[in-house]
Amino acid sequence: MFSKSLLKATIKQNYIVFLIILAVMMMYITIIAGMYDPSIQDTLDEMLKMMPKELMSAMGFTSFGNTLLEFISSYFYGFLILLLPMIYTIVVANRSIASHVDRGSMACLLSTPNTRMKIARTQAFFLLVSITLLIGFLTLAGVGMSVILFPGELDIPGFLLLNLGALILYYALTGLGFFASCLFNDTKNSLAIGAGLPVAFLVLQMLSNVGDKTDFLKYFTLYTLFDPEKIVQGEGYILSFIVLFLVALVTYSGGLYVFNKRDLPL
Amino acid sequence: MSIIVIKELTKDYGDHKGIFNLSFSVKEGEVFGYLGPNGAGKTTTIRHLMGFLTPDKGTSSILGMDCRTHSAEIMKQLGYLPGEIAFFDGMTGMEFLKFMGEMRELKDTTYRDKLIEQFQLDTSGRIRKMSKGMKQKLGIVSAFMHNPRVLILDEPTSGLDPLMQKTFAELILAEKAKGKTILMSSHSFDEIERTCDRVGIIRRGDLVAAEDIHILKEQRRKTYLVTFDATSSAEEFAKLKCFDDITVNGQRAKVSILGNVSSFVHALSNFTVLDLDTENSSLEDIFMQYYGDSQETSKSL
Repeated sequence: MFSKSLLKATIKQNYIVFLIILAVMMMYITIIAGMYDPSIQDTLDEMLKMMPKELMSAMGFTSFGNTLLEFISSYFYGFLILLLPMIYTIVVANRSIASHVDRGSMACLLSTPNTRMKIARTQAFFLLVSITLLIGFLTLAGVGMSVILFPGELDIPGFLLLNLGALILYYALTGLGFFASCLFNDTKNSLAIGAGLPVAFLVLQMLSNVGDKTDFLKYFTLYTLFDPEKIVQGEGYILSFIVLFLVALVTYSGGLYVFNKRDLPL
Repeated sequence: MSIIVIKELTKDYGDHKGIFNLSFSVKEGEVFGYLGPNGAGKTTTIRHLMGFLTPDKGTSSILGMDCRTHSAEIMKQLGYLPGEIAFFDGMTGMEFLKFMGEMRELKDTTYRDKLIEQFQLDTSGRIRKMSKGMKQKLGIVSAFMHNPRVLILDEPTSGLDPLMQKTFAELILAEKAKGKTILMSSHSFDEIERTCDRVGIIRRGDLVAAEDIHILKEQRRKTYLVTFDATSSAEEFAKLKCFDDITVNGQRAKVSILGNVSSFVHALSNFTVLDLDTENSSLEDIFMQYYGDSQETSKSL
């Protein structure tokens, strides 16, 4: 099913970028959870009103909310969650297939008794597992911090649901990156899609948040399907989850299919 | 029994690039030299054999299995040396060999270690920092270490110094003695001459000849540069008929001979020869010699 030795080599190749992104996310979630203070929420909201409204809403800050979950959700899950793991997925998805084909090391891999399918499956498996671990550690850190600092304050099921949404979003995003990685011979083209698309999604997401005139842009970004506010309120998110899951399913299996079928310039 | 069989293989990249209706086979225990200038289609053929490409038309098979659909099965008994070697940059030489061994589920590493010693390969350095020749040696060890039945080598000696080229030729001969089937591509005739039984020459994606190396050698025109003691003796020698072609320039004569040289040597003994030198015929000369006409016509097309 998977090649253990390739998996080991891929882990070795990527663990540093994984640890860096994880460390940055841990740092943010810790600081943000630590900043929560129910008594000053009103003051924070006042402060928010003094800032340029467009700038703040571009970053996903509309209100700091009243509960710890709403606070973390608007602070971390509005913008940072879209940016930090994205960097990881861009780097790793491109490395998974395209960079091996581009540099020629894929020739070494395919000169061993492993099918293309097995090699691509192994790389897809690594992407899925590592992004799950990344979001998983983040969730653990978030829950851990809240339990230590504000026992009983965090709506844990709500927080888990929020992270599940983020995880499914990243299954879809890594899927796009993996598909691009399987499709192209050059790192250049793979990155144009695998990195260009998520970054474009992010920019469109920020623009669409700014005001009514740009609101229509939300139809052009995948991030619209991950709406922390709705998830926290616990309504109208199921369809989005399903769509994101389908995107992941189609892109991953599409990537495997094209890589298995196409000509390789090795 | 034919181990490698290519039948009417066609891959058209447009603009006369690619391979066209290519057919040949390599028998068990045979070392097949695959010659051709750059861009002739050598690497494209090898990519088909490795299952990297799907042919437009025709088939290729190794050990009776289709190269495109059964590549993983074939690889169990095949060693491959790519033309341009790219490894995992971060690894050291030994880490790479261990990794490739694991990917092949290779348990016995004695042959690998013997090859490392034979090629004086320093496996401790990072691959990124290695010279071209060192990378080539690493590729050779990786291709041979699992003792495969079939070997496909794309320009194996490029980047190797003459001493290592000799070591490599010895390795090929030893593998041949073990009954291995080897296909190696090259653009150097001399390299092929040392090791191969049979030679296929490819030009513009078309196999123009697949011949026994001895026949090819016999038919090969050799050029000798003779310096006589005086202009008059050179002119006198030119009157003799012990060669196919001669051009005289003062004391120096350029003589070309097809096949047997004994009458040439015999005639020379009657003259005072100051210097005798051979001119190595390059692959282009061989092309011109055997296929000069067809090359001209295809150029004019």
